[in-house]
Amino acid sequence: MTMICVNCVMDTTDSAIVFDDYGVCDHCNTFYSKIKPKWDTDEKGIHESEKMIENIRKAGRNKDYDCIIGMSGGIDSSYLTYIAKEKMGLRPLVFHVDAGWNSQIAVNNIERLIDGLGLDLFTEVINWQEMRDLQIAFFKSGVPHIDTPQDHAFFATMYKFATQHNVKYILTGANLSTECIRNPIEWMYYQSDSRQLRDIHSRYGTVPLKTYPVTSILWHKVWLPYVKGIRVVRPLNMFPYIKEDAKQLLIDRFGWQPYPQKHFESRFTRFYESYWLPKRFGYDVRRVQYSSLIVTGQMTRDEALELLKKPSYDDSTIGQELEFVANKLGITVDELNSYMELPKKTYRDYKNQQQIYEYGARVMRLLGLEIGGKR
Amino acid sequence: MIALVDYGLGNIQAFANIYKRLGIKVLVAKTPSDVRRASKIILPGVGAFDWAMTRLQDSGLRETLDEEVLVKKKPILGVCVGMQMLAHSSEEGILPGLGWIDATVVKFDSQYLNGQTHLPHMGWNDVEPRGCETLFKGLYDPRYYFLHSFFIKPHQEQYTVATAQYGVKFTAAVRSGNVYGTQFHPEKSHEWGIGLLKNFAEFA
Amino acid sequence: MLRPRLIPCLLIHNGGLVKTVRFSDPKYVGDPINAVRIYNEKEVDELIVLDIDATVKGAEPDYRMISHLAAECRMPLCYGGGVRTIEQFDRIISLGVEKVAISAAAIENHQLITDAATRVGSQSVVVVIDVKKTGLLRQFEVVTHNGTRRTGIRPEDLAIQLADAGAGEIVVNSVDRDGQMKGYDLQLIDLIRNVVTLPLSVLGGAGSLEDLETLVKRYGIIGAAAGSFFVFKGKYRAVLINYPNRHEKDAFYKRTGFQLHR
Repeated sequence: MTMICVNCVMDTTDSAIVFDDYGVCDHCNTFYSKIKPKWDTDEKGIHESEKMIENIRKAGRNKDYDCIIGMSGGIDSSYLTYIAKEKMGLRPLVFHVDAGWNSQIAVNNIERLIDGLGLDLFTEVINWQEMRDLQIAFFKSGVPHIDTPQDHAFFATMYKFATQHNVKYILTGANLSTECIRNPIEWMYYQSDSRQLRDIHSRYGTVPLKTYPVTSILWHKVWLPYVKGIRVVRPLNMFPYIKEDAKQLLIDRFGWQPYPQKHFESRFTRFYESYWLPKRFGYDVRRVQYSSLIVTGQMTRDEALELLKKPSYDDSTIGQELEFVANKLGITVDELNSYMELPKKTYRDYKNQQQIYEYGARVMRLLGLEIGGKR
Repeated sequence: MIALVDYGLGNIQAFANIYKRLGIKVLVAKTPSDVRRASKIILPGVGAFDWAMTRLQDSGLRETLDEEVLVKKKPILGVCVGMQMLAHSSEEGILPGLGWIDATVVKFDSQYLNGQTHLPHMGWNDVEPRGCETLFKGLYDPRYYFLHSFFIKPHQEQYTVATAQYGVKFTAAVRSGNVYGTQFHPEKSHEWGIGLLKNFAEFA
Repeated sequence: MLRPRLIPCLLIHNGGLVKTVRFSDPKYVGDPINAVRIYNEKEVDELIVLDIDATVKGAEPDYRMISHLAAECRMPLCYGGGVRTIEQFDRIISLGVEKVAISAAAIENHQLITDAATRVGSQSVVVVIDVKKTGLLRQFEVVTHNGTRRTGIRPEDLAIQLADAGAGEIVVNSVDRDGQMKGYDLQLIDLIRNVVTLPLSVLGGAGSLEDLETLVKRYGIIGAAAGSFFVFKGKYRAVLINYPNRHEKDAFYKRTGFQLHR
C-alpha cells in the first residue's frame, strides 16, 4: 500500500522516503528546516545577488563573455538567459548541446531568445552513432536513469566550454522554486558519474566513444572549481521565479513557444519521463515537480492530486511515440518494448562513484556552500 | 478504409504517414482483394505517363480497379500522374489511359510562359477551388506543390473543380462522379495537402 | 502565382549530416533524420539531400537511408549521390522520392538524362553542376567528384546540352562560394540563366535572407538553395536548424513581388 505525504505528493514509490509523526515526508521537512531559511529572495537575497553579479562582471572584464549559459530551449534556461542579459546586465555566451533529439519547438525557442536578446550562440553536436549506441546500452542495462547519455553530454561539454573560453562562471537554470524537491537518486542517479557511464557502455555498447564528451567527477567537482576557479551559479534562486509569469513574459517578448510539459524540449526526455519511468518503475516525476511547487506555494496539494489522477502519457498517442523513439534509435518497437521487460537494476549494480558524491556533498553542506537536498 | 494503390510508383509512405497522424485507417493495396476491401481509393503517381500506365497494367490491379471505380462507384483520387492516367490519353505517351474521365492530357505551350523559367511547372502555386467542398472544405488560400509539364484538359467545363495559373489557367483538380484527381501533390503540401486528404477520407 | 522555392540542402557523409567549406573540411552537423523532422515542422518548400560519398567511392546509393528519409519527409525531396543508371533512378523514385539528382554520370553521358526523362519524366530528372573558377584567367569550369576533377567544360555550354537532353532542372553549385555565406555568385547564375529556360536552382554562398532576396529580385522564379544558411546561426556558426516561418516567408514574398493574392 502506498503512503503519501500529507503536505506534498511524494509517496512510497520513493522507497527511501521517511514520514514523521504528522505524516509529513522528509523532502518537505528538509525544505522547511534546511533549504527555505537559507534561501533569500528579499532584501538579503538582493544584496547577495548584487555582490554575485559584481563578481561575475569583474571576472569577465576584458573578455568576450563573463559567463556561460547552457540553453535547452526549455523554460528555465530560456528565462535564465533573459534575466542574465537584461536584469543582471551580463554578457553570456549561450551554449546548446544537440544530442539528436531536439524538438522543433526547442530549436525555435533558442533562436527566438538569441535573436531577441542579440546574443552569440555556440552548439556542440554529439555524434549520433555514438549517442544512439550509448542510449541503447543504457536501455539494456536495466537501470532507471536512461536519460544519462543526454544529461552527461550536456554537463561535460558545458565544462569543457567554460575552460576553453576562459569563462569563470557557469549559470544554470536549476532553481529551488521548481526543483527544491529533487528526483530521488534511486529514480535518477547522478548523470555526471562517468564511471557508471563507462561501465554500462563497456558492457552493452558496441560503438567506441570517440567524440562523445565524458566528464569526471574529480574534474568538475574538484579541478575546475578549486584549481581553475570555475563556479556554478544558480541565478533563478536569487530572483522571485514564478513559472507562469516567466512563461508569459517570454511569450510576449520573444514569441517563445510553450511546451505541453516540463522537459518536452527533448522528445526522448518526454518519452522517458512521461512513459518509461512511470510504466516500468512506477516513478512519476510529476510528483517531484508538483511537490516543489507545493512547498513554494505555487500549487495546492489538491490541484496536484487532481492532475496526478490523469495518466502521465496519452494512451492514444503513445503508440506513435514508441514508434518514433524506436525508429530513431534504429530498432524495432518490439525490441524497445522488450527492454521494458528486463529485470530491474539500480545504479548499484554497476560501477559508480556515489561515495565521492556523498562525501563531497556532505563537505559542501558543512561548509554551508550548497543548499538543496538530493538523496 | 482508404486503399493506397501500390503499383510501384508514388510516395505511398507519405500518404500513409499523413493518414496515420490523422488517425484514419489506410491499407497499402498490392492485390485485387486489398483493393476490394477499400471504401475509397487513392492512386498516387510520379513519373512519365507510359511508364506509369505500364506499371499499373503489370501490377495486376487494373481489372479490379475498373470494377471498383466504374461499377461499384467507389470514390477514387488520382494524384499527379495518377490523375493524368484517369484521362483517355496523354501527349506525353502513346499508351491509352484509364479513360475514367472524359479528358486528355496536353503539354503546356511555351509561348504562353513569359518568365525566364518555363517547363516543368515546378514549385508552390496558388489553387482556386470551384466549389467542390469534398476536397477543399475549410481550406483558405490553398497552395500546393506542382511538378509537371503536362496538364489535364477535361472535355467538359464541369469536370474542372480547381484551377491554377501558369502561363495559362489550367485544371488543377478534376471530378467526374466518383472519380477525383489533383495535378498537385497533396501528400507533400503541408497543411493544405493534409486538409485535402482529410476531406477526401471523411466525406460521406 | 508560382513562387520561388527556398530549399535547404543537406550533405551526407558517413551517414551523418555535414557542412563543408569550398567542398572540404566536412564539419559534423548531426543526424539527417532529425534535421528532416525539424524541417517538416518548419514546413519548408522542398529539400535536397546529397550523399557526397557515393560517387567518389563508386558506391551504390544507400537505399535504406533514402527510404527512411523519404518516409519521414513531408515535403518534396530531391536525392542525389552515386546515381549512374536508369535502374537506380527507378528504384529511388519508387522509394518515394520526387526527384533524383545526377552529376558526374550525366556530364559524362547525356543519354542517361534522356533515358531517365523517358522513364520517370523530365520533371524528376535534376542535374547538379559544380562550378569552380580555374586557370590563370579564373574562368568558370565544371568540376566533378567533390570538386576534385576538372572536366574542361564551361557551365553555360553544359547547361544547354543538358536542357536539350531532357533534364527537368539544373542545380548550379558554386564550389568557391560553398560555406562562405557571403552571397551567391550572381555572375555565374547570370551565365546559366541567360541560356536555358528550364527550372534553375542555385547553391553556394547564401549567408542571409538578404542574399535570397537579392537572388529572387534578380531572377524571379528560381530555386534558392542553401546549406550553411539554414543550418548555422550567428558568427560562430552554431548548428541550429532554422528557416523563415510562415509570417517571415509571406513578408519575403511581398518584398520580392510575389505576394499572396488575398
